[in-house]
Amino acid sequence: MNWKKLSIIGVLVIGFVVPPLIWDIGTSALNLLIMLFIYIILAQSWNLMGGYTGQINLGLAAFFGCGTLVTHFIWKAGVAFYLALPAGGVAAMGLAVIIGLPTLRLKGMYFGIGTFALAEVCRIVVGNTFHRMLQMPSSYVASYNLISRYYVAFVVAIVAVVVVYFVTRSKLGLGMVAVRDDETAAQVTGVNTFKCKVLALFISALLAGLAGGVFAYLRLSFHFIHMMFSPVWTFEPLMAAIIGGAGTLVGPIIGSVFLVVLSEIFALKLGEAHLIIFGFLFVLVVMYFPYGLVGSADRIRQRITRVGSRISKDRRRRYFLF
Amino acid sequence: MEIVFQTMATGLLVGALYGLVALGFALLMGVMKFLNTAHGTFIILGGYLSFWLLELWGIDPFLSLPLVVLAMFLIGIVFYKLALSPLLKLPNIGMRINSSMLITFGLIWVLDNTMTVLWTPDVRSIMTPYTGQTLKLFGVRFSLTGLGGVGVAVLVALALYFIFSRTYFGKHIRAATQDAVAASLCGINVQRTYLFSCGIAIALAGVAGMVIVSSYSISSTAGIGWLSSAFVVMVLAGEGNINAIIPAGVLLGLIESAGLLVVGVPYRQAVALMVFIVVLMIKPQGLFAKKEYGS
Repeated sequence: MNWKKLSIIGVLVIGFVVPPLIWDIGTSALNLLIMLFIYIILAQSWNLMGGYTGQINLGLAAFFGCGTLVTHFIWKAGVAFYLALPAGGVAAMGLAVIIGLPTLRLKGMYFGIGTFALAEVCRIVVGNTFHRMLQMPSSYVASYNLISRYYVAFVVAIVAVVVVYFVTRSKLGLGMVAVRDDETAAQVTGVNTFKCKVLALFISALLAGLAGGVFAYLRLSFHFIHMMFSPVWTFEPLMAAIIGGAGTLVGPIIGSVFLVVLSEIFALKLGEAHLIIFGFLFVLVVMYFPYGLVGSADRIRQRITRVGSRISKDRRRRYFLF
Repeated sequence: MEIVFQTMATGLLVGALYGLVALGFALLMGVMKFLNTAHGTFIILGGYLSFWLLELWGIDPFLSLPLVVLAMFLIGIVFYKLALSPLLKLPNIGMRINSSMLITFGLIWVLDNTMTVLWTPDVRSIMTPYTGQTLKLFGVRFSLTGLGGVGVAVLVALALYFIFSRTYFGKHIRAATQDAVAASLCGINVQRTYLFSCGIAIALAGVAGMVIVSSYSISSTAGIGWLSSAFVVMVLAGEGNINAIIPAGVLLGLIESAGLLVVGVPYRQAVALMVFIVVLMIKPQGLFAKKEYGS
């Protein structure tokens, strides 16, 4: 972390903080940005588990939905939102205990299938428990303004990125990467692999729960609350992380921008067909840029400048997803 | 008591269908190590083809089966050529599984939305003269289309069993799975073997789609639900154990029926998934796994 990077980050932060205060940037733009922040949080959450620890988590939607549900109810009960939001995150962590402890014993693909199945169980149970529309009382609706949602989403997104940054640069982060690269070797070297995986899942669940809380703050009523548990909320952040480059800090952010902004543009221009094009783009990225946009850009830069073949070998290990 | 038998009989019919749904998936995943998450979507595509043949030309779904199978076989070959064959270059099987999973995720988006554009998101099903008719056997009623589905599932599974154990082609598939390099040194065309078995797997998805559209209904985004049943059946049967797929499917159908009797209709699927997770925890090699695959 040097001055150049810090100043870039500072400019970006000011660029996001100041404009909405000075002039009205329009409801649609604000909505788009809020969704972008929610996707960044979710993609970072998936990235911590899938990109750094190498455990393909297909049950992210369960944590997201849990956060939405719990925040919604606690906030509705009259608790201030800044307390309801962390409560949603903690509830998602509690769910991670229930989901994670059995599934983390599974290896490779079976972890993905197990988490997917448990998320589906959550969706079915929640769908059967709450079959009515959930709505906030009218006083909440009267005091609704989008700007505060924007800042909450922005702050939580920043927190998510910072948390992932510090976790991955700690001893725990080294352990996580070791688990991803070779679990047996890590175990032999003395890394407590199960602890690494459990902690990664907990932090990831906390972030996903916070994203759910932000979503509950954004949307005051839910026609079908079980839609918050639908697999879409797993697959789209997964796509964002993979497109950008899983196992990197910047990758999921770039992937989210790609996913949210581009799909908005495509949706306006092409209507229904935009998801077809998006699917094609995703397939092409997976096939031809297996390290994501960020990873591939790094590799291309290295090929052009031809410096440090040893660094490039090192990098290759870092970007090795699985 | 009668309702118990009736529910179990329905579970039997649904279970055979689950087995049929999982066959192609297990062929690709268990034998060739490509995780095809778009399998459910291919099933829906096969269902739409069958639906179209009836609507446009008035061909009965059970008679149009060869056409659907042929079309889906060709689609499967194109699918293999474009999406899966580049993955053979990857260094290990774990990467092949994960990359194929991601690629087919993208394919779900493409196919789902193409089908939504082509056939609208409406729920479709086929009405034939014998739809809704039942046959009374041993005091319980079986729907004719369901029985047809069971017949197709058993025939397909037997055909697959004979292909695998009695023909050279089946031997080639097994050899290529065990060691692709050694197999090609022995004169087996690995690429062609994989190509044809991928075609067969997608054709099996088409068969399942025909059975689903004839006795249930399809909609353009229903593929994911069928995919999760395919997953469950494959894990119950044990990876690579293709002969146990239909029994495992029937077992799943019976478990779901039992869950329906005990905890009620809304939690039927949840019970099946919980059983699946328990099996995954206790016996990840599958309930029907043979000893030599066990280690």
